[in-house]
Amino acid sequence: MLAALAAVPVLIALAVRLSSRDPGPGQGPPFLDRVSQNGLFIALTGMVVSIPLFLPLTVSVAAGDTIAGEAGHGTLRYLLAAPAGRIRLLAVKYAAAVVFCLAAALSVATAGVLIGSALFDVGPITLLSGDTISVGESLLRLFLVACYVGLSLLGLAAIGLFISTLTEVPVGAMAATAVLAVVSQILDNLPQLEWLHPWLFSHHWLGFADLLRQPISWDSFAANGLLQGGYIVVFCALAYSRFATKDVLS
Amino acid sequence: MTRVWKRWLPAAVVPAVVAGGAVLGTVQAGAATDLPDKTPQEVLEMVADSSVRSLSGTVEQTSELGLPQLPTDSPAGESDASSGVPSGVASALELLGGSHTARVYLDGHSQARVQVMDRLAERDVIRNGRDVWLYSSKQNAATHLILPEGSESEGYHGDKAWTPEDLAEHFLSSVEPSTEVTVGSDSEVAGRAAYELVLTPDSSETLVGSVSIAVDSETGLPLSVDVEARGQDAPAFEVGFTELSLETPSDDLFNFTPPPGATVTERVVEDHHAKHAKHAKGDRGEHSKDYVKYGSGWETVIGLPADEVPPELMDSPLIAETAQEVDGGRLLSSALVNVLVTDDGRVFAGSVPLEQLQAAAEGR
Repeated sequence: MLAALAAVPVLIALAVRLSSRDPGPGQGPPFLDRVSQNGLFIALTGMVVSIPLFLPLTVSVAAGDTIAGEAGHGTLRYLLAAPAGRIRLLAVKYAAAVVFCLAAALSVATAGVLIGSALFDVGPITLLSGDTISVGESLLRLFLVACYVGLSLLGLAAIGLFISTLTEVPVGAMAATAVLAVVSQILDNLPQLEWLHPWLFSHHWLGFADLLRQPISWDSFAANGLLQGGYIVVFCALAYSRFATKDVLS
Repeated sequence: MTRVWKRWLPAAVVPAVVAGGAVLGTVQAGAATDLPDKTPQEVLEMVADSSVRSLSGTVEQTSELGLPQLPTDSPAGESDASSGVPSGVASALELLGGSHTARVYLDGHSQARVQVMDRLAERDVIRNGRDVWLYSSKQNAATHLILPEGSESEGYHGDKAWTPEDLAEHFLSSVEPSTEVTVGSDSEVAGRAAYELVLTPDSSETLVGSVSIAVDSETGLPLSVDVEARGQDAPAFEVGFTELSLETPSDDLFNFTPPPGATVTERVVEDHHAKHAKHAKGDRGEHSKDYVKYGSGWETVIGLPADEVPPELMDSPLIAETAQEVDGGRLLSSALVNVLVTDDGRVFAGSVPLEQLQAAAEGR
């Protein structure tokens, strides 16, 4: 799955490299017009393109598989027969999902930087504010962006974990989680539901742009952390209660 | 059985705690403050006496004008050119609708930077002495304006002889015949205790319900402005600090070099008049000498003759879709301002109901 994610920036880079016509300013996904001047922007374009669907989809697969996958394989019984305890199993499974979220975001960023530096010039990066920062600092900012995106997905991973405890069919849990991610984004785009927007787990997904301003605006990082923290606490508690009281038959 | 209930306990308690925390957070934000009472005159003196020249803060603006929302917020980032509206007009209109967040940095009279934070984009205005830069990250375009000589030191009020008391009195005497000025309950803006100055129009023939200005209790800096419209619960227009620090911002912020690859337009602002036009955002400033004024106070109606109205403005799909047909022309209606475009192309605008615009149009 990480390889599939890494393919996104590679595809964008090849498309820009092979096409004879540069996209004009403001055309296509954000940052695409800068790519031919500076390869580092591939990582950002890849990030913007992956956030709405690819990243949530892979995270849904990873998180939906956690408990339901073991149940589906009939291995959950044996895992619980070992003196590990259900809480510990749940904690380990969620920790694995968290690691996957961060790895997914980092792999998009890393693949973008690598393919960008292979196919295009790399130079000081222009921030949204119009200021220019050095390559070293750009890489640091890209790392921060990847952390931000990884953090943004933790709430979804917690929801996936909870759904995964509800069913024994892993595909069902994955699909339900992915659908929720899409629904949340659709709701976030309806102006009639403005009161709801700050409570949607996908509300801050594109807020990583605040890390590309000069000086960095940490507001959305903090707001995002708080929001995701709320989702993690609520859904991990639900998952624990459901899992602890569940009759494990398979 | 009790074991099962115990295990469901976290599922019930944790969401309740999170919800409680969220509610508590919003309640605390609206907590009342208590300041020593002041008269409107004293609050206005504080404003006039305010010596804040350097600050950095975040400003949030929201409007509920009843205008259709313009689809410029989409992450795909379409160019403004496709909407058919001259981009200057479009971006000015766009700033009026919806909500925006901007960061503001000020240092003295001659150094300023405003960053309008859009989704995945940003628009910057940077002033450093005589140089003014406008930069838009979406278009990757920069405009460089050079202000006329001598403008570095000039403040907004040329008259230095005015004392705060004079200014406050002058403001009150010019406003009071048509407006009731009171000091409302104390409020908190951007974490600072503030006095609330409320201006309520006496006339019932205006769309403006009231204007309240929050004034910082320590420095006299205006922190927020809310405009309420008649017959609407949510404020029609709100602008105010959400964060404010009175420290001098770093000097680097005001040094702007256009990034490599950006399109740069050079412009020199020559005379005094053109400079004012720029301050009025280029829209209406240059026409200011040709308008006709009807009525006074809050009921003022501004009339523009047909040849002063840019023809492409009315042809734009944006306005064609928004305007509704009324007797004698087309009406652009919002919570605070009505604009009537007569059939012969004249434009009448004011914070008044449609009937008064029609009366002004017929009366010439």
